[in-house]
Amino acid sequence: MGSLLRSEEMTLCQLFLQSEAAYTCVSELGELGLVQFRDLNPDFNAFQRKFVNEIRRCEEMERKLRFLEKEIKKDGIPMLDTGDNPDAPAPREMIDLEATFEKLENEMKEVNSNSEALKKNYLELTELKHILRKTQTFFDEAEFQHQAMHDPYLGEETMGLLGEESQRSGQPLRLGFVAGVIGREKIPAFERMLWRACRGNVFLRQAEIDKAMEDPVTGDQVLKSVFIIFFQGDQLKSRVKKICEGFRATLYPCPETQSERREMSIGVMTRIEDLNTVLGQTGDHRHRVLVAAAKNIKVWFIKVRKIKAIYHTLNMFNLDVTQKCLIAECWCPFADLDRIQQALQRGTERSGSSVPSILNRMSTKQEPPTYNRNNKLTQGFQNLVDAYGVASYREINPAPFTIISFPFLFAVMFGDMGHGLIMFLFALWMVIREKQLQAKKIDNEIWSTFFGGRYIILLMGAFSMYTGFIYNDVFSKSLNLFGCQCDKDYTPASLDNNQHLQLNPNGSYTGTPYAIGLDPIWSVALNKIAFTNSLKMKTSIILGVSQMMFGVALSFLNHRYFQRPMNIICEFIPQVIFLFCMFGYLCILIFHKWTHYTSDMAGNAPSLLIGAINMFLFNYPKHSKLIYSGQPGFQGFLVVIAVLCVPWMLLVKPFLLRYQARYGQPFDFADVMINQGIHTIEYCLGCISHTASYLRLWALSLAHAQLSEVLWTMVMRLGFMFDGFIAPFMLVIVFFFWAGATVIILVVMEGLSAFLHALRLHWVEFQSKFYKGEGYMFQPFSYEHILDHGGEEN
Amino acid sequence: MPELSFNIDHGYLEGLVRGFKCGVLKQADYLNLVQCETLEDLKLHLQSTDYGNFLANEPSPLTVSVIDDKMREKLVVEFQHLRNHCLEPLATFLDYITYSYMIDNIILLITGTLHQRPINELISKCHPLGSFEQMEAIHIASTPAELYNAVLVDTPLAPYFIDCISEQDLDEMNIEIIRNTLYKAYLEDFYNFCKNLGGATAEVMCEALAFEADRRAFIITINSFGTELSKEDREKLYPRCGNLYPDGLSKLSQAEDYDQVRQVAEYYASYRELFEGAGTNPGDKTLEDKFFEHEVKLMKQSFMHQFQFGVFYSYVKLKEQECRNIIWIGECVAQRHRAKIDSYIPIF
Repeated sequence: MGSLLRSEEMTLCQLFLQSEAAYTCVSELGELGLVQFRDLNPDFNAFQRKFVNEIRRCEEMERKLRFLEKEIKKDGIPMLDTGDNPDAPAPREMIDLEATFEKLENEMKEVNSNSEALKKNYLELTELKHILRKTQTFFDEAEFQHQAMHDPYLGEETMGLLGEESQRSGQPLRLGFVAGVIGREKIPAFERMLWRACRGNVFLRQAEIDKAMEDPVTGDQVLKSVFIIFFQGDQLKSRVKKICEGFRATLYPCPETQSERREMSIGVMTRIEDLNTVLGQTGDHRHRVLVAAAKNIKVWFIKVRKIKAIYHTLNMFNLDVTQKCLIAECWCPFADLDRIQQALQRGTERSGSSVPSILNRMSTKQEPPTYNRNNKLTQGFQNLVDAYGVASYREINPAPFTIISFPFLFAVMFGDMGHGLIMFLFALWMVIREKQLQAKKIDNEIWSTFFGGRYIILLMGAFSMYTGFIYNDVFSKSLNLFGCQCDKDYTPASLDNNQHLQLNPNGSYTGTPYAIGLDPIWSVALNKIAFTNSLKMKTSIILGVSQMMFGVALSFLNHRYFQRPMNIICEFIPQVIFLFCMFGYLCILIFHKWTHYTSDMAGNAPSLLIGAINMFLFNYPKHSKLIYSGQPGFQGFLVVIAVLCVPWMLLVKPFLLRYQARYGQPFDFADVMINQGIHTIEYCLGCISHTASYLRLWALSLAHAQLSEVLWTMVMRLGFMFDGFIAPFMLVIVFFFWAGATVIILVVMEGLSAFLHALRLHWVEFQSKFYKGEGYMFQPFSYEHILDHGGEEN
Repeated sequence: MPELSFNIDHGYLEGLVRGFKCGVLKQADYLNLVQCETLEDLKLHLQSTDYGNFLANEPSPLTVSVIDDKMREKLVVEFQHLRNHCLEPLATFLDYITYSYMIDNIILLITGTLHQRPINELISKCHPLGSFEQMEAIHIASTPAELYNAVLVDTPLAPYFIDCISEQDLDEMNIEIIRNTLYKAYLEDFYNFCKNLGGATAEVMCEALAFEADRRAFIITINSFGTELSKEDREKLYPRCGNLYPDGLSKLSQAEDYDQVRQVAEYYASYRELFEGAGTNPGDKTLEDKFFEHEVKLMKQSFMHQFQFGVFYSYVKLKEQECRNIIWIGECVAQRHRAKIDSYIPIF
């Protein structure tokens, strides 16, 4: 087993597989998931390859399975997922599978078409039932109106001229009508069209059907209305019928007299009842078929996808001249060659072939893929690194260092025991219930992001509790665990009266420090921020410079591993000197100032900031305080060394290369020079800007502490202000508000922001010192991967 | 400066349509497609393009009409997505694109009912982009006036129809005239709309629509030879927004045979090229194909401009051409008639 520090050693292999054994061998390799096949026929179209017919058959099977799955889902039958992983079936079993699916599909289709016909019949009958019921009221009204029209008392003078005429002609008003059912949303357009096409000579009545009806084809619920149209004459009749057809209204015969209608209605009711029983029987049959299919469908899917994957892989192979043997090329980890050999042996045995499969190592100039063996804890951190760029083959992998440094830098910005605890507990819950949660397969992007990073969050929470302990912050309050080490002047009584306490360490300090972390007395002092700022700023610089120095040191390991001594002399050494002269020295001064200046000397301690500026300007005013004698001289020396490192980095390597290439090898000096110039400028400016960039550790930490303090004073403290019986209720309300805001703003939002900043510090400030990230990922042929991704890849 | 605020309203959709455009099949894809032996091969190759699994759920055996339906469905889904997310004036612009499909549908339905075809069969042949509510009731109309009063008056096509209202019965000739009059009014209206939008949209779209208008004028003229359409009537059908207007159109209206049409085209550099390249001998490209090629060229150019609506129009047109190409290749493959399989019109 290799380590995580460098990616696995890979080797290119050639495989000779007997044609009859190739299928089983590839199947075994798929279960193993350790080889990445190369496509040896990149110029061939998908449909010109050897096993295209088999793939097509698999696709056809998949289509049938998808059809069955859709039907199963439609009926809401649970699909049994036993989690077992059947082997890829032998090629000859494919025919059995095909026959099974074919039979099921046909059966399903038959059942569907039967039930569709029945449902259509049922729908028609229900519609007819509604028509008979609703039209009754229409006719009743019409009857009434008709009577009103012939009412003798209506007075002749109110009758129009035409009305008089029609009466005189003595013909009774003979109206025809059609009745039918139409989709409710089409009614307005339907009405308008009727009016226009028949010039207002028809009379439409409509009533809504309350119950939604099922469309037999799509299975959707649709709302419909009953309508009845009265008109006069045959021409209008045909026209009305055409319009009805155009709007997909279904027309039904409706008898004219009430008794006939009643009779029909009774007939319809009995037929509906008959149909209901038949429908129930077809439904049961369908259910039985589907339940039987649901038991096996997952296993079938796995089998078909495995077959398909095997043939896809076989399509990448070459046939040798004798056509008896398939040739494949693949990348595989050197350490696993034995396991691969064994898998091949198993495959050959299973196929019953007598000729063994042969695995040959090949030498190649191609860059091998990068393969890191991760476990579930390291995988999350590896993903963070890979998101920036996959490591070049065998270069140092930052992931193992990231496992500690990432949560730590996060925690520096997020330091609060309370918030850290919430984060830690949430991650712990995900880690403990890992198996159950994984089995649920929740397909939510946000959730899967959090779940995928559960170990990162766990560590981030734990580290935040630690830094919170050092900062002595729990939801912005301090703990007094070891006894406050300040003068007895500050008693609770005296603190209550002193609203503007400025803590002066000089004089109030007892002499023995608070055991671990920040003395809790600072939490009541007004100058707390001034104190913590100084502390956190300096810590940030120290952490930053050490991480960058570590990064540069890793570049040394890379140079040594790849045997590039020139890079060590021309890049690594000047880089270390440059970084040390500028910022390593500053860190030493910080430690010196912490250890050598006591609180009573604080008043005349030299300022490091001014000191650093003076150092680069070579300017030491007379009254400036020096830390040690000879400081100007030594600092001047450091700056000169650092400046000298720049041409060292810039010029030495290109000229050395040109010297080496003096015997006429092709060599582009300008190209090398520009390249080196870019790297030099990047490094030198980078050192300065990256150091400044690490100050974000302080800035975010300050922001986080202040925000949580604001939340406490502006919200939670209100809860303590009430008196009397209302106090407990208000306290509860205020508490919930405060707790919600804490989780949403301080834990989630601030956590995300600190996460991004920590990520940036690793990608840019740390990895730029040594990491190339120009490799490509090892993507082995693995059933596990193919099945997890639903076989959607081609 | 409409460019300044263009992206606020339409930037997302422009980006989307430019992304869709990248999925238009390339020359390399066509080279692969013409090598197909069966429609199944065609499907397999289309799967590796942006069409993805659009045929995965179709049972074998595959037919060309299924491929056609599915491709059209994909375009319609994309178009509807654009239409549902757009703001004015892009919304109106996209509606204008659908009007041409509405005209086609109306003509299809009237012709169909004239030949006593059942309406359901016709409806399934209609382009979904041009469907409208009253469409299916179109067969109640027997004269253009009825057609207008009963069906078209509520549709956006109503103003285009004013010129064809008459009490004559609908017959073949009549329908052709209606189609061309509608198209003429539509093109002119669309042209003016784009011109009023101004900016890069006007620049790109006026060129595209001018070409469309001229193409129609040429085709109408050529198709009218040997029919009873009089010269005056013919002149009324020419869309008057192209490069041919006014001189070219008046000359065209006097043309009596193909050579005279060609002489008119001589005066216009871009059209001269098309007529010169076209021929009826085997191996030559037809005039129709030359027009399509020129259209593809114009549409591709419109993607060079930014902050304009022309890309939406161009995308639909290019996709239509792509459908025609694939169907052509599909038909050649299905009928095992490979001699002319290369006469598709490559896009990129």
